[in-house]
Amino acid sequence: MPQLLQIRPESDGVAAGETGPRIEISSDFREFLQADSVEQLVRLTQEVLADPTYPTVRAWRKTGGKAVGCFPVYTPQELVHSFGMLPVAMHGGGENLEISRADAALGSFLCSISKSTLEMALTGLLDPFDAFVFPYICDVSRNLEGIFSRVLPQRASHMLHLPQNFTSPATIPFLVAEYRRLIEKLERVAGDRFSQENLRASLEVFNEQRALVDRLASLKRDAPWKVSLVEYYLLLRLGGLLPREVHIPLLRRALTELEARQQRNKDAIRVIVIGPFCEQPTLELLQLVEDVGCYVVGEELQMLHRWCPRIEPGADPLESLATSYVRTPVDIGVRSTPTTKGAAILSRVDDSKAQGVVFLTAKFCEPALEDVVLYRKALDRRGLPYLHMEFEEKSTTYEQARLQLETFVESILFD
Amino acid sequence: MSDVASPAAAQGGASPTFLRDARGLQRKLVEEYYGRLAPSEKPHPPVAYMLVGGNLTEIVRAFGYDVVFPEIVALNCAIKHQSLENILHAESLGYGLDVCGYVKNDLGLQDLGGTTSFGQIPRPDLLVCSFSGCYIYVKWWEALAESYGAPLFMFDVPYMREEAPRKEDIDYLVSQLWEFVHLLEKRTGRTFDMDELKRVLAESRRAEDGWVEFLRAGRFRPSPIEAYFESIFYMFPINVLRGTPEAADFYGVVNEEVRARVKEGNYPLPEEKYRVLVEGVPPYTNYRTFWDFFRKWGAVSVVATYPKVGGLFDRGFRHDPARPFESIAEYSLGAYVNQSWPLRRQIIADYVKEYQVDAAVIHGIKSCRSFTAGQGDLRDWLIHERGLPTLYIESDHQDPRYFAPAQIKNRMDAFFESLEQRRAVAAAPGVAPA
Ligand code: SF4
Ligand code: SF4
Repeated sequence: MPQLLQIRPESDGVAAGETGPRIEISSDFREFLQADSVEQLVRLTQEVLADPTYPTVRAWRKTGGKAVGCFPVYTPQELVHSFGMLPVAMHGGGENLEISRADAALGSFLCSISKSTLEMALTGLLDPFDAFVFPYICDVSRNLEGIFSRVLPQRASHMLHLPQNFTSPATIPFLVAEYRRLIEKLERVAGDRFSQENLRASLEVFNEQRALVDRLASLKRDAPWKVSLVEYYLLLRLGGLLPREVHIPLLRRALTELEARQQRNKDAIRVIVIGPFCEQPTLELLQLVEDVGCYVVGEELQMLHRWCPRIEPGADPLESLATSYVRTPVDIGVRSTPTTKGAAILSRVDDSKAQGVVFLTAKFCEPALEDVVLYRKALDRRGLPYLHMEFEEKSTTYEQARLQLETFVESILFD
Repeated sequence: MSDVASPAAAQGGASPTFLRDARGLQRKLVEEYYGRLAPSEKPHPPVAYMLVGGNLTEIVRAFGYDVVFPEIVALNCAIKHQSLENILHAESLGYGLDVCGYVKNDLGLQDLGGTTSFGQIPRPDLLVCSFSGCYIYVKWWEALAESYGAPLFMFDVPYMREEAPRKEDIDYLVSQLWEFVHLLEKRTGRTFDMDELKRVLAESRRAEDGWVEFLRAGRFRPSPIEAYFESIFYMFPINVLRGTPEAADFYGVVNEEVRARVKEGNYPLPEEKYRVLVEGVPPYTNYRTFWDFFRKWGAVSVVATYPKVGGLFDRGFRHDPARPFESIAEYSLGAYVNQSWPLRRQIIADYVKEYQVDAAVIHGIKSCRSFTAGQGDLRDWLIHERGLPTLYIESDHQDPRYFAPAQIKNRMDAFFESLEQRRAVAAAPGVAPA
């Protein structure tokens, strides 16, 4: 496994309103297409993520394209795509953004992704976007949309009510109607009418991307020594930033390379990482989990691409899209569980043949925090080891985290 | 919401007064309610746990269920200074510092056996999660379902983003209500009786009329009521006992006394200097101290958003026996925190006008994102776009460790002092009003 990252020295951060060095990407995304190895591709992705001005979105706009920012965890990106607009996964400001104004507007005891997203709105960093979608994954994301509608009144924003009743026969028709509500706004932003045919074509594009993402996730589960967690994460993350038609061939090429990799199985401990379904941990933290002797064989990162299996467009593609949300087997913290939290975690442990669980939850992320208690109870009953750590977007020291992870690994090794 | 310690004189202000008969009656209703829930020899009606926002009280009542509202049990514990023990216990179970105080207070209490100084809280036979305005409701009810193994009905209530609900929202809700009724029929072996539901709804409506009359008394100058501090006592019947004749009669007694106050000139404060709008959940653990910080400055809470957590009755909504399910559906959408920020801002702007408000105080809750996330932006909007002096302070509704009295008092003193100065300047001869 190539050593891709160095834990960086303390970053100076970028003051509000400043953007630091900007990366310029060509409108045909040739920088990515020309990357001739996974290593180069993930390096480039890393550079793109370090620039909070959304270089890929700026590149897309050079030819007049429109872009819609989608807050985690799940937005029906296919709808945005069917209007010829770019759906972009917004994952906060990352490590290089100083928060100065968002604290006062939003409140103190809130996750970093909500604050950095608002900070970016207040400081012009979201200017490359034409509209925003905030799904109702939690009260913070929901309220954030209400603030966006005031601070960025010229830009459309939409709070998407994702249902929580998965047994009612009325849920799918409701979600179809809910998607139509979103479509009303998208039509205004795009200046175009919704088309079932276009949606059908978009579903196929995303099916293709999803199939490749699944292949990557299977590789990570079955041969985790072939792809590091950081590589895996960056390849997925890129999928929410590039036009999907660009990402698909890149991911296909990367998979061919990764699957052929001749790496040695280090016999590290197989763990699943639960909790980072919305705010994303730093690359350093992700790397640390594997550096200390774990293989991450299941996780909740970048759920956007993994929400549901293939969607058959069917006679009514909008209904198919809604059905896929309601019927998905995904059982994470922002969706009411169809069974119990205990059953959910144990089946994930079994499916991935994990030896332990690392809970990585964003600080102040209440949905994740509450689940951890129920998950832990079930793991205790089974005698399975786990570790819980909280993270923020701007972590600068990892000594404590390394110590905790090393102790956890040792406790399993010498059990 | 039930008893509080005996009134303590506020520094520089008179003792808070309550409506005497209404207070007595309210205390009696609370005692009877918890008495009825207590386990006894005789067969007990089944118990449904429910949330205040968007609750389906009328339907479960029509099936003979007793209803427990864990939020209300929790706030009763907090106001009686019994929440910390439960919260600490929940923390020992793994619930972190940043989890909602209601959740920790309740789950701690449940794990400790459910015994409170006001009664024994029975186990649930059914968990009804009205997901209306707070995502934590879902998490909380999942935890209860795992701990009790009781069935959970998820009543999914769309978030309100436009002033009026759309037809598809109502269709979705009504369909879920029928599914709920079928579930109750199966569980109780009883046949649903629409006439019984209509009768219960008529009582609800009567209580709602009375409750609104009480709230609107805040429009008088001076206001005969403390819309924030007194309301939290008189919310019990509208939220917990709605649908019973006792709840409806209760507001008759309340309003009789409010009218007497006006007639006799017996107001909450000898001089109403500032008419204040209060936004946010109260700090139940230090509620009396917090009230005193207002009273000291002659500040009366003439209108508040918190009493609307159980429904926006004062904005015109009523349960309607002629449209039973549709009106229950509309009701469930109307929990205050189920309104988007633009709607919340509109409600507040209307209140400022209708109640002739001089200033606003926003009380942010550390562990409640639903209410609180964005209140800083609200403050900014009130000050800069509405020209209303506004103070934002923060503590917790359930956890006394986060109520810093000296700090809060200092901030409130500074705020009211600045209002006083502003008034003095405006009143000075030759100074044009700003
Ligand atoms: S990190 Fe958690 S609390 Fe924050 S927006 Fe995401 S889901 Fe909500
Ligand atoms: S609205 Fe706030 S206080 Fe009420 S349950 Fe939700 S998070 Fe807790």
